Amino acid sequence: MKNSSSYTAVAYLFLAPALILMAIFTFWPVGYNTYLAFQDYAIADGTATWNDFAHFKYIYEEELFHSALKNSLLYLLVVPCIQLAALVIAKLVNNKLPGMTFFRATYYIPVITAISVAGVAWAFVYKYDGMLNGFLTWIGHALGMLQGEFTRVEIDWIGNPDIAIYSVMVFTFWKGLGYYMVLYLAGLQAIPAEVEEAAILDGANAWDRFWKITVPMVKPTILLCTLLSTIAAMKAFQEVIVLTKGQSDTYTALFYVYDQAFRNYNFGRAAAAGLVVTFFCMILAIIQFRFFGDKK
Amino acid sequence: MAMSKSVRQALGLTGHYAGLIAFAIFTTFPFVWALCSGLSVDASKMYTFPAGFWPHEPSFMWFERVFQEMPFLTYLKNSTIMSFFTIIGVVAISVLAGYPLARMKFPGRGLIFVAIIATMMLPSEVGIVPNFITLKHFGDFGNWIQESIGLGSDWNMRAWIGLDSYFGAIVPNFAGAFGIFLMKQAFEAIPQDLIDAARVDGATEMQILWKVMVPVTAPSIAALAIFTLVNAWNDYLWPSIVMTSKEKLPLAVGVFNDLTGPFATSDNILMAAIVMTVVPVLVFFAFTQRYFISGMDGAVK
Repeated sequence: MKNSSSYTAVAYLFLAPALILMAIFTFWPVGYNTYLAFQDYAIADGTATWNDFAHFKYIYEEELFHSALKNSLLYLLVVPCIQLAALVIAKLVNNKLPGMTFFRATYYIPVITAISVAGVAWAFVYKYDGMLNGFLTWIGHALGMLQGEFTRVEIDWIGNPDIAIYSVMVFTFWKGLGYYMVLYLAGLQAIPAEVEEAAILDGANAWDRFWKITVPMVKPTILLCTLLSTIAAMKAFQEVIVLTKGQSDTYTALFYVYDQAFRNYNFGRAAAAGLVVTFFCMILAIIQFRFFGDKK
Repeated sequence: MAMSKSVRQALGLTGHYAGLIAFAIFTTFPFVWALCSGLSVDASKMYTFPAGFWPHEPSFMWFERVFQEMPFLTYLKNSTIMSFFTIIGVVAISVLAGYPLARMKFPGRGLIFVAIIATMMLPSEVGIVPNFITLKHFGDFGNWIQESIGLGSDWNMRAWIGLDSYFGAIVPNFAGAFGIFLMKQAFEAIPQDLIDAARVDGATEMQILWKVMVPVTAPSIAALAIFTLVNAWNDYLWPSIVMTSKEKLPLAVGVFNDLTGPFATSDNILMAAIVMTVVPVLVFFAFTQRYFISGMDGAVK
């Protein structure tokens, strides 16, 4: 072994670029954000003054922030839907039938398209004279539920405050499905084929096999994916930017942060709200790490 | 009731494919629709089902109009430049950092690794405000250097490293826990004999990394490069905040701004523009899709 202090120096030299960049762009923001949360930041000259928890008092009172937090918690509804659908799809493509590569690739397409461009396409699907209503009109006519040749279904999917947040959630579901499918596929491929074959011989039907064999055997993957998608749901806000820009009751917690920072230019208040969101994310992560703890 | 085995199998198979096709329709219909509307000269049937899913009087006229109405090629060039340098940066930094974490023993290794992995749990979006301010300071610093060494104001160094610079739009993405973790896993899978043999031959750590480790882990590096390319190409939020001048915007931001901005004219042009933005990614994906599955596989373990 060579001289150990120069060996350590080499190791740190290799790590230096990563550590320096992470220090500037990942670790420093955490500290600085916490500092900003207690200050009034003037964007023009960059001065910050202590304001005696004013931001926290403000957002504690504010209706908009409450509704943003409520929407973010409501967003967690996406988690079970996306997990179940992704697992079912992974199960459907996990075999050697012809065309599986094609279907896997097809399901992954929403994941690899830019959220902004996909959002524009969905805004066209959702608008009151858009494709979704066109499709529902066609169904309505086919079933004879709509009278008159030119009547159309006119639901404003992203303009109506009662349903807009759910429409945004469907978009998140569409965008994330393929990502979790691939993770589940990796989990499913680790299950030996004999297990399932034995169950088929014993006469178990597809439903039983799914719940009694597949689900228990991919449990570690389910936990990982649930953790990932829970944090992603808490952090959802780019969907809101591209679909509704926060109109019709669709503020989520991080959209509030973004909105305060880059529309109101109130960096201090944005930081304070961001700190609250970080706190919620940490709690969720800790709860789920308890689950993981048993596994390792 | 006894159904013959082959009938049951055929039914099961039909159900299986029906499910697959239903999900395929769900994931692709917005783009299929965009393609058909972009190809149709006649816009009147665009929002009716099922007529909207078929091109009427097909022509490329709307696609040609896209080039006239928005600086599509400029956005394409910016996306290419930014993605290229992001890949170089991410791969270089992840390889350099992954190697000592995987194969060298030095004090502080465990702590550094835990710190890097812990950043995966942080909501990174909370960093956008501090990073915005940091880049503003970078710009001031560039300006200060320029003044102190007496360069003329036409050098405009503020725009090299501050806000509204390629540097500012991509550098915060360089050092990521995902890349470092992926490379660490790849390096750990290499047999120790290979490294010992190189050490006996008197190779320095840099030579071991460059001549032994990098060639052997090429598939992982390729997977990392592909993931990085897709992320960089599609990155919307950060460039939309940092970049203010239109001629520096990447596709994901520029096309979105033009599509939703005040100059949006015909819906068919928008649909054509959506298709043109998505197609490069799809073509690339068609050639590399096996890496996506295998790369994720490696990261999960």
